[in-house]
Amino acid sequence: MQLSEYQNRFKDLMLDHPDVLDAPPEDLAAFCKSGDIALPTRLKVYRNNIVGSLTDMLKATFPITQALVGEKFFETMARSFILQNPPAKGVLSHYGEGMDEFIASYTPAKPLPYLTDIAAYEISKNHSYHAADDAPLTAAQLAVIPPEELQDMQITLRAHVFLIHSKYPLTSIEEFCMENDADKALDLDQGGEHLMVFRRNLDVEVAVIGQGEFEFLQQISNGASLGEAMEQVLSEFADFNIQDVLQKHLVLETFRAL
Amino acid sequence: MSGQSIHTNDSVHNYGPFPPAARPVEPVGIGLRYPHYKEVLETDLELGWLEVHPENYFGGGAHRHFLSEARKQYNLSLHAVGLSLGSDEPVAQEHLRGFKELIDIYQPFNVSDHASWSASGNAHLNDLLPLPYTQESLDKLARNVETTQEYFGRKILVENPSTYLAFEGNEMHEDVFMNRIAEMTGCGILLDLNNIYVQAHNHGYDAWSYINTIDAHHVGEMHLAGHIEQEADDGVILVDTHSRPVKGDVWDLYKHAVRKVGVVPTLIEWDSDIPDLKTLVGEADKARAIIADIEAEGMAHAAE
Ligand SMILES: [Fe+2]
Repeated sequence: MQLSEYQNRFKDLMLDHPDVLDAPPEDLAAFCKSGDIALPTRLKVYRNNIVGSLTDMLKATFPITQALVGEKFFETMARSFILQNPPAKGVLSHYGEGMDEFIASYTPAKPLPYLTDIAAYEISKNHSYHAADDAPLTAAQLAVIPPEELQDMQITLRAHVFLIHSKYPLTSIEEFCMENDADKALDLDQGGEHLMVFRRNLDVEVAVIGQGEFEFLQQISNGASLGEAMEQVLSEFADFNIQDVLQKHLVLETFRAL
Repeated sequence: MSGQSIHTNDSVHNYGPFPPAARPVEPVGIGLRYPHYKEVLETDLELGWLEVHPENYFGGGAHRHFLSEARKQYNLSLHAVGLSLGSDEPVAQEHLRGFKELIDIYQPFNVSDHASWSASGNAHLNDLLPLPYTQESLDKLARNVETTQEYFGRKILVENPSTYLAFEGNEMHEDVFMNRIAEMTGCGILLDLNNIYVQAHNHGYDAWSYINTIDAHHVGEMHLAGHIEQEADDGVILVDTHSRPVKGDVWDLYKHAVRKVGVVPTLIEWDSDIPDLKTLVGEADKARAIIADIEAEGMAHAAE
């Protein structure tokens, strides 16, 4: 067996149903050597290393999801995710991307409709933590722009800023899970949230922001000029105050340097 | 709202490049892992150097802040797990690029990965998978090591992996395979004593003769780690978990290797069930004591 064929077959075996390890394909078994310790025992060490290490990684990225469904459920779900979505490259900092879509089509998770959004929220937090460092736009940089040019200016969000909208109260669900207080009840009907996930002082933080403010940030991150974004938001939210929002996000250092 | 601006630590980083690293004077180092980030920076430790997996620092992010702070105090070794040097496929350009960026900034004294594979087709299996020890594997591995060395403009070290599976078609023993790869590419050998011990048990061969076979002048670093004994119906298999203290037998192998090879930078690896920093540094102290004893023996011989 050539190296390419062995590697391809071994990979398929690792991502196959666990029962297949007990009776591996004959030609692959003949290619391997076993000795005192039988082949299935040897193969299972690899299988456990692969699935175990990736499961640990997913647990670290999705603590709220795990708290909501319990460890056993999460481990079973993680294994299905891993076998269907093995990492595509040797850098795993973003591994778990796509978990939200996976959950959306994962039948056992159907009774928890908010789980997809929680997973998306946790993906944003992980991306924010690992996002590249970039410099913020400062008030001083903005001050030197002639007022007549501001309208047409395009500014963008920093790499660690993510906007999340859900019809579920994600931060209340998070608090509920992390406090682990049995006496407390969670009201899922309290309404949705507009969130900004970002990094400050090396930690990932989350802020609940206004709907108009969310819309404005979304517009400029999609490439709209300040003027276009403002016009769009004002058409929906008459009380939107661009001065306040700009001032707030200059302080939070939400925008990327020009 | 006050007019004061909030100063964030991670607004603008001006990391490195750090001065080129010399080989550490103190030979023993430990892995820098997330739970110890702050303590390592705040404690005065008798350590020669720190090791990290470059993959955790690709592309920037909060981790890099800690790495930069640590690099100001310590020499660094970048020990990769993601190049998949033993794959039939060429090394991923994206991985080389991300890795080279870190080398340029952090100026490590050693750069390494393993004589194993992880990637096949569209999947990267996140484990160090075993190679048949054949001429074909050697040629493919050599091609990938050469590509990497050319891209980095420097020599790398290739580590002997822990394996749980061997192949009927093996044309040579692993120790010979390791020597050959060094001869073919000019790379160095990263000799992991725990991996040799684990392999010797799992495949039934003599760990001491493995060390005797390795060409000493290729060895640029050594690793020490803990493993577990996993009971199965058909016997005990040793699994390289990096989750325990170094076993007594592995310390004995280390002594033998230092006598045979000489003193090279030595790493204590501990990657899961990570203990408190004191325990980890205690393992490093043991390695240092072994080196000191062997150096004293050498001086006593010289005086005779
Ligand atoms: Fe190692």
